[in-house]
Amino acid sequence: MTAIARRPRLDARAAFRGWDRFDVVMALSALGLVVLGLLLIHSGSKADYSGPALSFANPVVKQIVFALAGFGAMLAMSRIDYHRLTHYWWLWYGGSLLALVAVLVVGQTQFGSTRWFDIGPVQVQPSEFAKLAVIVALARFFAEYGGDARELRALLTSLAIVVPVALLIFVEPDLGTAAVTVAIWLGVVVIAGVNRSHLAVLAAICLAAAPFLWTFAVADYQVERVSILIDPYRDQGGLGAGYNVIQAETAIGSGGLLGKGLGNGEQTQLDFLKVPTKDFIFSVLGEELGFAGAMGLFALYIVLLWRGIRAAQIAGDAAGQLIAVGIVVLILTQTFINVAVNVGLFPVTGIPLPFVSQGGSSLVALFASLGILQSIILRHRSYRQA
Amino acid sequence: MAVTERRPQPLRGPASARPHSNLAILRVTVLVAFAILTARLAQLQIIHGDEYAERARSNHLRVDQVLPPRGLILDRNGTPLVENVPIYRATVVPALLPNDRQARYRIYLRLESITGVPAVNIQQLVEEAESAGRKESEVEIASHLSQEQAIVLDQAAPSLPGVSLAITPSRQYLGGPAFGPLLGYIGPQFAEDQPRYRAQGYLPNQPVGKDGIELAYESALRGSPGLLVAEQNALGEIQRVLETRPSVPGGNVQLAIDANLQQYVYDLLVRSLGEATTAAAVVMNPKTGEIYALVSVPGYDNNIFQNLEQRGHEYEALLNDPRKPLLNHALVPAAPGSTFKLVTAAAALQEGRITPSTGRTIDSPILEVRGENGVIYPLKDWRTHGYLDLRGAIAWSSNIYFYMASCGIPQEGIQGLGKDPLESANILAYYARAFGFGEPSGIDIGGEMTGVVPTPDWKRRSRSGPMFNPEDREWYLADTCFMGIGQGDVTATPLQVARMTAAIANGGTLVTPHVVNAVLDAQGNVIQRIEPSGKPVPVAAEHLQVIREGMLLSVRQGAGAAAAQRGIEIAGKTGTAEFTTPDGQTKEHAWFTGFAPYDDPQVVVTVYFDLGMGGAKAAPIAGQIIRYFLEHHQP
Repeated sequence: MTAIARRPRLDARAAFRGWDRFDVVMALSALGLVVLGLLLIHSGSKADYSGPALSFANPVVKQIVFALAGFGAMLAMSRIDYHRLTHYWWLWYGGSLLALVAVLVVGQTQFGSTRWFDIGPVQVQPSEFAKLAVIVALARFFAEYGGDARELRALLTSLAIVVPVALLIFVEPDLGTAAVTVAIWLGVVVIAGVNRSHLAVLAAICLAAAPFLWTFAVADYQVERVSILIDPYRDQGGLGAGYNVIQAETAIGSGGLLGKGLGNGEQTQLDFLKVPTKDFIFSVLGEELGFAGAMGLFALYIVLLWRGIRAAQIAGDAAGQLIAVGIVVLILTQTFINVAVNVGLFPVTGIPLPFVSQGGSSLVALFASLGILQSIILRHRSYRQA
Repeated sequence: MAVTERRPQPLRGPASARPHSNLAILRVTVLVAFAILTARLAQLQIIHGDEYAERARSNHLRVDQVLPPRGLILDRNGTPLVENVPIYRATVVPALLPNDRQARYRIYLRLESITGVPAVNIQQLVEEAESAGRKESEVEIASHLSQEQAIVLDQAAPSLPGVSLAITPSRQYLGGPAFGPLLGYIGPQFAEDQPRYRAQGYLPNQPVGKDGIELAYESALRGSPGLLVAEQNALGEIQRVLETRPSVPGGNVQLAIDANLQQYVYDLLVRSLGEATTAAAVVMNPKTGEIYALVSVPGYDNNIFQNLEQRGHEYEALLNDPRKPLLNHALVPAAPGSTFKLVTAAAALQEGRITPSTGRTIDSPILEVRGENGVIYPLKDWRTHGYLDLRGAIAWSSNIYFYMASCGIPQEGIQGLGKDPLESANILAYYARAFGFGEPSGIDIGGEMTGVVPTPDWKRRSRSGPMFNPEDREWYLADTCFMGIGQGDVTATPLQVARMTAAIANGGTLVTPHVVNAVLDAQGNVIQRIEPSGKPVPVAAEHLQVIREGMLLSVRQGAGAAAAQRGIEIAGKTGTAEFTTPDGQTKEHAWFTGFAPYDDPQVVVTVYFDLGMGGAKAAPIAGQIIRYFLEHHQP
């Protein structure tokens, strides 16, 4: 029993034996989100895209291609024992750090922020994969530590894993993704049983340091740079900082209970929404499908997250459980921040809506994370039985 | 056990041990997160959904009010006296400027390169507007840009957020100062009038007439605004026009004025001013009341008012000019002097106090009249005329004859118009009013003053107050006498004198003068025609014939001989009205009023100079105007 646990190996029979446990509900809810996203991308890109329907330049086609690639990645990841990931955590983690440093040096700058590599026709955003690397590294660390974050030393070590990645993302600057990374860490340590007083002391230190950090940032990066963190689209068209948020709120609010119908939202179709297929895709949904559409979207997310939590529940070991928790927190915080930005509860940060927003890296990375969750689900029983 | 062996502190149990914490906290977090978002969505979409829907509508619906072209003003021959021109202005809406100071300053620098207004000044203007809380409204950076500047600005504006080229309709007056007070000018609505104008359907940026024809015919000239409802995208580009209602251009106003004649008379008066400072002339059709020329000297250039930003000093100069160029002097009263003797003659004939053959030998320039309580008034004439009948008295403008006809000569038992000086004055005032004095003529432009027809009652009222003695309020015999020759307190405008002359010339109809003949639509169809109107004067036709004969004699051989023109029979009456200047000097106004041809009067001309002798100064000018008119006028 312990031999299998310690030395995961590619055992085709074992893997196939688990397929009956493949979480179809989780996969279907993710696919539902993707399909909804395709409809919204179609509507949101109508005003800007007028080329042939079957072309890689068509954002809908592009998204379908990435969705298929993502689905493949999910199936592939399901087959791979997640312990392989934790075993080679350093490879992934180190690679992510290198990629994050590299993107600052040679990456594409867009909207005042350097987040992307151009690889052929696709843009790759290393932070998408770095978040997963953090999850795996944390899971590995706490698994070795007995799945326990009660000790201060363990807590601080886990912090040391997260901080370099979060800082590198923060200086791109990408406040949103940095916040997601910190949220993942928080979720993992909470589940790992962190001592609440430790957490309280850490929070207090952060609060106390905030004013000094702010002064430092203002002094060093100038006001302009800091405000770009908060609003990357500020200079677009020279319109006021609040422009995008106001237009998004107007779009959503005007959708009312049932929406104006897909493709009929004036805010969307007349270009009042910026990046309507990406960061502000939720506004398209709010305007065209209304409150009812938003509730449908939330329902899909809740089902997906519930299945993710179930994966954590039934995970065979601490590593699996914490990876599942990290992925659930990742999807939850991204969704929450994106929607909160759209409804004016959070400053504009440039976080895509998981599975829905147009964007290849994000979609592939998310499906890959679902694959990891499947891998955890597939292996929970075989692990115990063996 | 490779992994477990590397574990730093193996006291926490085996690697397979699962964390103790409860995953319920994760489930709760998920539910709470979506509950927060749902609550916010409900607030936006359900509670405030209607407001946002309205906001979205106003976002993409663009309603443009389209200013109508203002109607033109044409002379009687169709010559335009004004044209519509755009004024190009550079404006900035502070709320639409970028927040970043440097980005703003780059915009100011670009504006400087186009308009020439220094960027620092632009910055100051914008900051003043912002601190005054006027962020949303336009700040004018420069006005009266050239067409080239306007084109450059229009092309640059889309890349300069907040900057736009504003076009305001304006007027270019073509006639020069001869037409100044006649045409008037247009300007922006005063803030306090805006609610009233809005109620009448004006747009806030629609200019309104301020004086002259522009004011009097505002309702005909203004037109009605059009509407353009369109769907716009976020860049303000029109995607689809949803509704249009074209603007209706204002009507064109066709004047009775002959532009060439107006210009000729103006130039003539300016050339002939001499010691005079102001002058006026009225040329009018005696039968219809059509005004062919209505001239006031000095005039002003109406275009000053279309560009007060750059020509403000000229406007200041007009305001401070003691000659008051902004007034239409043809509508400002002055003592009419001997021209008023025509009224006295008509009154005396109609009242039966004299006949055409009533004569008097005037062998002394002074007539001593015994008045109240034995007071002796020495009344002067301007020369010893010898024997005069009524026609001769009009021709030679004898004062003594008309003292006799108005106040009488008590010591000789000659009664005036009434049984006593008071009744005489009231009878004369009645006839003066019947000939249009002391009341508005009803001319169709503003700025008209009424002048004064004095009566004993009027004197009592007008001299009340602590600065007058009781005896100042009394009406004396001399008051009636002076009134009889158009002196004393009588005042009349050149237009009133012309109107009186017309009534004599046309055989007894007091016509209503008008400077406008018709209002035409853009295609030239008549929308409104100004019909001649008038009322009869209570004087028999044969009496008026006698007066006309006296006027003919005046130009043939009398005091008005200087008006004579070869080949034209002109009838007229001179006037030299004494008045006291504010510094106590006695000076004279020069008048001449007449008509021609004598047999079939086509035109009445009244000329007035504020300083001068009527026969010498005004009469020859009137004669030249009549000649010019008859030679150039095609009915």
